[in-house]
Amino acid sequence: MTSERAWDWVDGIAHRLIHRAARRAPDSLSDRLEEEWLADLASQRGSIQRLRFALGCCWATNVIAHEHALAALPVAGSTAGQGHFIHAHRDDSPFFTGRTITFVLVALLHAALLYGLAMGLGPQIRKIIVGPLTTRIIEPPPRSTSLSVPRATMSSSRIILPPQDRIPPIEPDPPDMIKGAVGEPVQPKFPPPLANVVNRVQGGPGIGFPSTDDFYPDASIRLEEKGLVTVQVCVDGRGRLTSEPTIVQSTGSSRLEEGALRLAKAGSGHYRATTEDGRPVDSCYPFRIRFDLRNR
Amino acid sequence: MSKRDRDVRMSLQTLKVLEAFLENPTDELSGADVLQRCRLASGTLYPILLRLESAGWFVSRWESIDPSSAGRPRRRFYRLTPTGLRRASEVFAGFGRGVLA
Repeated sequence: MTSERAWDWVDGIAHRLIHRAARRAPDSLSDRLEEEWLADLASQRGSIQRLRFALGCCWATNVIAHEHALAALPVAGSTAGQGHFIHAHRDDSPFFTGRTITFVLVALLHAALLYGLAMGLGPQIRKIIVGPLTTRIIEPPPRSTSLSVPRATMSSSRIILPPQDRIPPIEPDPPDMIKGAVGEPVQPKFPPPLANVVNRVQGGPGIGFPSTDDFYPDASIRLEEKGLVTVQVCVDGRGRLTSEPTIVQSTGSSRLEEGALRLAKAGSGHYRATTEDGRPVDSCYPFRIRFDLRNR
Repeated sequence: MSKRDRDVRMSLQTLKVLEAFLENPTDELSGADVLQRCRLASGTLYPILLRLESAGWFVSRWESIDPSSAGRPRRRFYRLTPTGLRRASEVFAGFGRGVLA
């Protein structure tokens, strides 16, 4: 239905309302009111205004009929329109108050909504408002293929074992030390060295140990999570894990802790065993893993 | 003052209608003209016009055209009677003296 036809339809309703209102008026006034109202209807601008005028005429009919019924003398129609005895005992309360217009608008809105729901327009409107659901796949950033290439900043990303008073200075880290992990002083949570050990060198991640980047959880990268995770591992003389690694301390998220445990497990066989007087022995020790996006 | 005069209730809307006619008492106004001047609803205006006409304040007549040749209905014109003019003037003068306030 075009808008022009819609307005014609509204005008048709206005005319029918006036015909209906005039028929309900007292017989002596019916023809006069119909012709007068139709003439004045044509003077109204806009279909909405004409519809409003016609609705007002319906209300006017009620008032006129009421006053006519209260008249003491019958109405005597004349071409001059004189001789009517209509007494005013009724308030001239306007029919189209703001409240009435609001009520009509709300009623029309409800009717439109019910019509739309009945015609199945709800899902279409929802599609227009919400829009089609799209899945966006976020590609992870490309990873470095080199597992153990040291960088110039590796001085701040190495694993340093906890200081021990009786242990000589730690040897320089091999060039294939995992990157992204920074050693910081760890509180001594391992048993103190035995008294009869003359020279004990604590083990740690050795040659071929996996890179931290390979175990940096993707979700943590997207969320820009970073932190330190201290992992306790028990390693035999050949650098293999003898038990499940455990988290000793963590400043990061649970995702980073999970990544640290996977890294620790993947490094089995690549740990440097603790040596006592140069002989590798089974031992447990903690080491820290730093997850830092700056190293990526 | 006749009984019919006393029966005309001076509501705010009635005063607006009278004021529109008093601007130029000799003018004839249709209902559409009064609607435009007074900004009243049609449901309010026409009972007032009929009421004032019944009370003898207004007279009305049909527009002098042939509806069939003009292609539209005739309009109804209203005009103040001498009695209506006097009474309406008294009403507004009374407002000025605070009598009907």
